[in-house]
Amino acid sequence: MVDIIVCLKQTVDVNQVRPHPETLEPQLGQAPRKISDFDLNALEEALRIKEKHGGRVVAVCVGHDIQQLLIREALAMGADEAYVVSDPRLEKADGLVTAEVLAALIRKVGRWDLILCGEASLDESAYQTGPRLAEIFNIPHITYAVRVELEDSGVKVWKAMEGGIHVVKASLPAVLAVGLEINTPRLPSLLMIRAASKKPIHEVKLSELGLSEEQLTPAVETLQVKALKVERRRITLEGEPEELAQKLAEILVQEGLVKK
Amino acid sequence: MSTILVYSENPHAAAEMLVAARQLAPSLNASTAALHLGSMSEQDLKAYAAGGAELVYHVDGVDAEKHGPACVAEALANVARNVDAVMVLVAATRLGREVAPRTAQRLKTGYAAECVQLEASSDGLVAYRGVLGGTYQAKLLFKRKPYVVSLQTGRYQPEGSGSQPRVEKVSIEITAPQLELVEIARAESAGVDLEKAELIVSVGRGFKKREDLSMAEELAKVIGAELGCSRPIAGDLKWLPEDRHIGLSGKRVKPKLYLALGISGQVQHLVGIRDSKVVIAVNTDSNAPIMSEADYAVVGDIYKVVPLLTENLKKLLGR
Ligand SMILES: Cc1cc2nc3c(=O)[nH]c(=O)nc-3n(C[C@H](O)[C@H](O)[C@H](O)COP(=O)(O)OP(=O)(O)OC[C@H]3O[C@@H](n4cnc5c(N)ncnc54)[C@H](O)[C@@H]3O)c2cc1C
Repeated sequence: MVDIIVCLKQTVDVNQVRPHPETLEPQLGQAPRKISDFDLNALEEALRIKEKHGGRVVAVCVGHDIQQLLIREALAMGADEAYVVSDPRLEKADGLVTAEVLAALIRKVGRWDLILCGEASLDESAYQTGPRLAEIFNIPHITYAVRVELEDSGVKVWKAMEGGIHVVKASLPAVLAVGLEINTPRLPSLLMIRAASKKPIHEVKLSELGLSEEQLTPAVETLQVKALKVERRRITLEGEPEELAQKLAEILVQEGLVKK
Repeated sequence: MSTILVYSENPHAAAEMLVAARQLAPSLNASTAALHLGSMSEQDLKAYAAGGAELVYHVDGVDAEKHGPACVAEALANVARNVDAVMVLVAATRLGREVAPRTAQRLKTGYAAECVQLEASSDGLVAYRGVLGGTYQAKLLFKRKPYVVSLQTGRYQPEGSGSQPRVEKVSIEITAPQLELVEIARAESAGVDLEKAELIVSVGRGFKKREDLSMAEELAKVIGAELGCSRPIAGDLKWLPEDRHIGLSGKRVKPKLYLALGISGQVQHLVGIRDSKVVIAVNTDSNAPIMSEADYAVVGDIYKVVPLLTENLKKLLGR
């Protein structure tokens, strides 16, 4: 039996964010939100571990404007329950504040053996929440996990590094941070979606977590976000494959992109 | 005077960080030093010297590969505290990206990941980094010291004349949780510097089978291009070595020609090809994001267009 915490961040869908034509700032309000990609891989991995070894999977989620629907999505995939902190104050949260709030929330959940999270988030891709949580709990963390096996004495993880795969072992409890290589997240069936509506979502207030003012004060402030513009010619070529191949070959030669 | 403390498990990357640190040092009123863990060779020292290091703190008992990131973070945080570091600068390698946030948490401070540029301002350190899939740049201000930062490598050129840095031994008792390294399965490596390639033919999930990549290989051979790919091709499918994957979590390339075959062009891929001079995409879906981010968007089936293109080029180029 293993009890697993899965951290789920709700972010904007970065593929649908458009910059403001003049200021170049991202128009975040106009883009739909979703569960950060790799966090779904983390949830999937947690569910697979549960299916094999038994236990409970608890989703935790903190943010400034948490959408219930996305929590239900995680429950429909198979998480047993969810703990949520949604507070406008967290809009300016940096990695430090987020980790402190998550850790405090995880303490409320009670017993657990493993924390799983995505290695990086869709919007920030800072690779920081996993290592920060592990530091708070003074336990090992393993990022870039591409395969996980539970053993009697702990967990064995295949970790993708620059030079190859490092196979490492850690004792439990531990934090594992995973990327998209580890699995393909399941799509919930209609039955599971219906079952999810009865699963508990525990709403916890930020003030109930006993965090100090210092813990809630971001150490890094975002001053500005701007689109990096790249100008492309955007010429569309359409037609029969023979035509396209001919035109393309000519372009490559004429523009001096390939040399004789 | 305070210190900018630099760390990387790769001394050449550390040398680059030292160059960045030395540029910031006057405005932060700080000196610079590197931290070295584990045994230290002449080569290592030379690398630090090339970065212009005057001082290297040497902790012998900790080995990054063997003990894992928590122990490295403990050593780094301890030395940072002892020398009253104003900033901890780590190269954004895979290990660096694990060590830096853990160090920041230990020091109860902020962290800016994989920065591309740093500036000292009167309010504190300003860091620039890619966000929202890398297509946007954020400007961040640190409100608390020390500043913990990881910086992308390949941006600074170490060329210090290399007078020997002073080495100061530090002993630290490691109490952080260790990992046990069972084995390292060395990856098949492309052994190419994709960042330096002039021409890149890149493949995505539009290829249905591994064998089909031969179409792209043949084309690449004819024009003398390197082969690149999207993350799923290297990561999930393992059809190509990891070091050919381009994008946010892979290589950032700047070829004259980037030819994207069967790649949808999600933002995380696009960020890696932004500096390409000419982008050509071949995709059956005219609405794929890459089609509006290309100089030439070829609406077509790679299975039909690519072999024909190779034939045409062979003729035109006389190969
Ligand atoms: C934090 C994070 C980091 C990431 N980092 C990276 C990264 O560094 N690099 C990266 O690449 N991805 C990265 N990704 C993944 C990225 O979001 C996409 O999933 C990935 O780039 C898609 O790869 P693809 O284009 O090969 O596949 P798909 O998106 O599946 O696209 C395949 C394309 O092929 C086209 N196609 C199909 N058949 C044909 C045919 N016969 N002829 C022509 N075209 C055809 C389709 O129309 C489609 O556009 C990251 C994701 C996250 C969340």
